[in-house]
Amino acid sequence: MDKAEQILAALGGTDNIVEIEPCATRLRTEVHNSSLVDEKALKAAGAFGVITSGSVVQVVVGPEADTIATDIEDLM
Amino acid sequence: MLDVIAPTAGQVIDLADVPDPVFSAALVGPGAAIDPERSANTQALAPVTGTLVKLHPHAFIIRTSDGAGILTHLGIDTVQLNGDGFQLHAAEGDEVAAGAVIVSWDPATVETGGRSPIVPVIALDASTEALTVRHEPGPIKAGDVLFQWSR
Repeated sequence: MDKAEQILAALGGTDNIVEIEPCATRLRTEVHNSSLVDEKALKAAGAFGVITSGSVVQVVVGPEADTIATDIEDLM
Repeated sequence: MLDVIAPTAGQVIDLADVPDPVFSAALVGPGAAIDPERSANTQALAPVTGTLVKLHPHAFIIRTSDGAGILTHLGIDTVQLNGDGFQLHAAEGDEVAAGAVIVSWDPATVETGGRSPIVPVIALDASTEALTVRHEPGPIKAGDVLFQWSR
């Protein structure tokens, strides 16, 4: 799996994503069920950090955030 | 040694005091932050000379010729403004000189809208020890050296 596929899977898959939006260094994701998010797998996929607040999961991936977000949207 | 200049005038604060868990924990790199002066039409300057590799209305990244990336982020959670209130003066891919005007914006409006206008300036992927001389917390003028990146 490439990075985008790994991140999408670790976020609980396409069905779990309400919205995904890139910021300068992070993916801001709104999910249906944050308990389906696998933080370890996100880090294994290259995330520097994961910040969860309710249904919003921020995955810190660095400046490639917009490229990764586009790749993830292509997979959805 | 890379001089990283203040993109805007204001008060230098520690990154640890930025109200955002990603920046305050230096997850994307060490750096410093500026609480900008609240004047309309505030200019955000290029902190280093290089290529404008990413340009969002609220944030931009410049990469120097030797590969150092500097992120300037105008306010916290300002991606949610969708560019409203931000005027771009350069384009992605441009070669820019340190001190060139990249974006103009209004920190007071950002603050009135309920968001922090604090400007983190981040040395992407740098080690904390690589930032040597740092401007002490307190007032800074746009263009003054904010920190030096030893590389």
